[in-house]
Amino acid sequence: MKEADDVTNLVTDLSPGRVASEARTSAERAAHEPGGGGTAVTLENVSITFGNHVAVRSVTLQLPARQVTALVGPSGCGKTSVLRAINRLHDHMGGVVHGSVRLGDLDIYGPGVQPELLRSRIGMVFQRPNPFPTMNIFDNVVSGLRFNGVHNRRLLREMAEMALHNAALWDIVKDRLHQSALRLSGGQQQRLCIARALAVEPEVLLMDEPCSALDPVATAKIEDLITNLSRDVTIALVTHNMFQAARVSDHAAVFLLGEDRVGELVEVGPTEQVFETPQDPRTRAYVTGHVG
Amino acid sequence: MSAFSSAETALAGAEAGAGAGPDARLAQAARDRRELMRESARRSLGRRRMTGRVMQVICLIALPVGLAPVVALVYTTIANGAGAVNIGFLVHAPTPPGIPGGGISTAIVGSAEIIGIAMAMAIPIGLFIALFLFERRGRIAASIRFSADVMSGVPSIIIGIFAYSVLVETFHHFSNLAAGFAIGVLMLPIMVRADEEAMRTVALELWEAGVSLGARRSRVARSIVLRGALPGVVAGNLLAIARGVGETAPLLFTLASPTFAMTLLIFNDATQPFPAAQQTAWGTALVLLVFVLTLSVAARAVAWALNRKAR
Amino acid sequence: MTDPVDPSALLTTDPSRRPGEGSGRGGPPGGPAPSWRKDRILPSSPFYAIVRWGGAGLFAALLIGLVISIVSGSSQAFSHSGMGFLWSGTWNPAGGDYAAGTLLVGTVLTTFVAMVIVVPVGLGVSVSLTELAPKWLAGPLGTVIEFLAAVPSIVVGLWALLVLSPVFAAHVEPFLEGLPLLGHLFHGPAYGPSILLASVVLAIMTLPTVVTLSRSALGGVPLADREAAMALGATHWEVIRRTVLPGARAGIAAAITLAVGRALGESIAVAMVIGNRPAVPHSLLAPGATLGSAIVNQFAESTPGLGTSSVIALAGVLLLLTILVNVFGQVLVRGRDARRAVRVGGVPA
Repeated sequence: MKEADDVTNLVTDLSPGRVASEARTSAERAAHEPGGGGTAVTLENVSITFGNHVAVRSVTLQLPARQVTALVGPSGCGKTSVLRAINRLHDHMGGVVHGSVRLGDLDIYGPGVQPELLRSRIGMVFQRPNPFPTMNIFDNVVSGLRFNGVHNRRLLREMAEMALHNAALWDIVKDRLHQSALRLSGGQQQRLCIARALAVEPEVLLMDEPCSALDPVATAKIEDLITNLSRDVTIALVTHNMFQAARVSDHAAVFLLGEDRVGELVEVGPTEQVFETPQDPRTRAYVTGHVG
Repeated sequence: MSAFSSAETALAGAEAGAGAGPDARLAQAARDRRELMRESARRSLGRRRMTGRVMQVICLIALPVGLAPVVALVYTTIANGAGAVNIGFLVHAPTPPGIPGGGISTAIVGSAEIIGIAMAMAIPIGLFIALFLFERRGRIAASIRFSADVMSGVPSIIIGIFAYSVLVETFHHFSNLAAGFAIGVLMLPIMVRADEEAMRTVALELWEAGVSLGARRSRVARSIVLRGALPGVVAGNLLAIARGVGETAPLLFTLASPTFAMTLLIFNDATQPFPAAQQTAWGTALVLLVFVLTLSVAARAVAWALNRKAR
Repeated sequence: MTDPVDPSALLTTDPSRRPGEGSGRGGPPGGPAPSWRKDRILPSSPFYAIVRWGGAGLFAALLIGLVISIVSGSSQAFSHSGMGFLWSGTWNPAGGDYAAGTLLVGTVLTTFVAMVIVVPVGLGVSVSLTELAPKWLAGPLGTVIEFLAAVPSIVVGLWALLVLSPVFAAHVEPFLEGLPLLGHLFHGPAYGPSILLASVVLAIMTLPTVVTLSRSALGGVPLADREAAMALGATHWEVIRRTVLPGARAGIAAAITLAVGRALGESIAVAMVIGNRPAVPHSLLAPGATLGSAIVNQFAESTPGLGTSSVIALAGVLLLLTILVNVFGQVLVRGRDARRAVRVGGVPA
């Protein structure tokens, strides 16, 4: 949909708000919600601590279903920590999540919740593409399926093909499914990681600055993808690039550093509104400061 | 499987192009696939976790299996050897079998002498070679490095035979010199690797800074590089010495009598059926073990102090 | 015992360390005032260069001398028995037979059984220490295992001969004979010294090598790969099995190769517990002999001339075998480093 010259046109427009309102019309064209809206993930008063250090404080946020919510702000404000709290990746790194995180009605930190099952419903794409280096392309894509008990070969092939189509990678790799995943370029590897995450049919897809290691052309392709994917999947996108947020997201959550250097959620709302008419003075400062 | 055929329909729909009807079918297909995955994940989790636990237990069992020999060995050596070791043991020379009051002093002195000769040979040469490798990058340096690596894998018994051919056969008698030579050759590749590594960790910039100011290569090398690499060299050489002290095979080919070195003494006494001889073997083993342990700990202490200073 | 932990692993310094204090003025930016300015005693540089080149040359001479002495020392044996010495025949000096065949079998057999024991145990220990045990425990336990590497081989042999062998004869070997399926590997009278005992001793001695290198291989798998697996819903074991272990494949292969090289060359401890019977063993409980053990046991008593030459020829065979395995291992290690470089540098724009 958007090719490289489209990207340049958008970038020359100075205000993220303008970008947001233009992008939103196209996004509206692309998205549709047969089942209506609703909220996929709810965070209530969530704080995350690592030992004595508080990374982010008192976040209350909702991720609307089948829409793209961008978490924006400078580095170190806790956006990634919040993202990782949603699929319980902090369990392994010693981070403690306070407050409540719900997937629909389910308290994901509640007793009796199996993290493995949760993570098969909430997928993640990381900042640097991380395909499994010892597996070929096909095995990479179906790795999640195999983890979750799917071994029927025909089914695996079908679901792999579907996931690769959805990641706009099928035509590129269909003849070389058995080559090493490392032979792909960076942007292609990242789309492979997206396909891998999609193959498991998650309800939510968490994306942690997926384009920051990529060149502009690859970035544009993935931004296209995000807009298309949000038809089926709720997407939470962490990005420090406000223009990207403006292009791609329906809702924006702005994270900034508080006085005591602890991250906090400053403002959240529809993207166009947050960037064009921010309510909080800090948001305004951030949005305009970013441009000026 | 209904979810499966929905997937097929979904694919067909995607290819045919989107519209109102196919969109609803697409959405339904997506929901079916999702349900399929949830079901599969739910059903398989129990089995997957059980497999994981079993494998983890198996791995953990390996821990005591792997640790038991060390522990048993050290314990037995201390238990059996402590009875034999006293001042007399260390100070007196061996007596003929059956006559009490003997010790292993000749073996201790002999081992010390042999190691001394080995160190005198290997330490300086190791430094020179390491300096050479440090300064040059060509194919010669690469092949020397490769040879050192290969040589450190050569069994010590073969080095013993080498020493035999070169020194024992030529001069027609066994000698501490030949033994020292063998151990020295053994230690050399280890020392070269350790020395070069220690030198490399000294700031390359310091070296270049010295050279760029017009100092002759020799002066820069001696003062800056050697001084900076000294702790690393000491630690690495201590480890090499610890290895050299414990070697037996080369001594078989170069020493006239087992009483001239501790390791050879153990080898000889262990295989004799006399309990007194075996007792001596345990005592000697304990002395050897303590010595090697001290050297290893000293090497680690030097390396640790080195890392501390660096911060 | 055998080669201790790679010394360079101990020697990590902060590369910006300054070895001397500087007088500040006149030094290169960021560096101390060079202390060599105070040096009055200077060897002239050509002399120093000679010393360095001499060291390198001496090393080369040693290597070549080693090979030559083995080759020339064994020439008599080869002229007597021909190349068949290498792989056929048996070793029976009393009867006039000098050939390495049965000894080669013994060497390969003990090494093989040792690997069968040490690879699973070593991997199990490595996985336990890097993935399963808590950090405060893994450190000390790892140090204990590394200490095993420092124990001289003679002490291990002593312990194996005087402590392990009677235990084997009394308990282990009868037990193994009674096993349903595997029992066929273990039959015949058991007095202690045996192929099995020698293999166990080799396994004990190579364990630190396998553990240390495998641990570093396992630890070198990037966190990103593990997180990718976790994010897909893998269990802890599945992360280990599908991500960590495959990622460490090359390092583990190098570790095993190195262990094989060490096992081949170990002679003293093996000589003490293998029973010194150069014949193809019919059971793992039978005594046997390896190249190394034969050299140790026979050298002193060998008749000068053909006898001694044959012993040296055995050493030659052992050297060949060891070099082959070592070179193979070096190739593995360099291949792994090259592949890793491609991967790390390799995400193009």
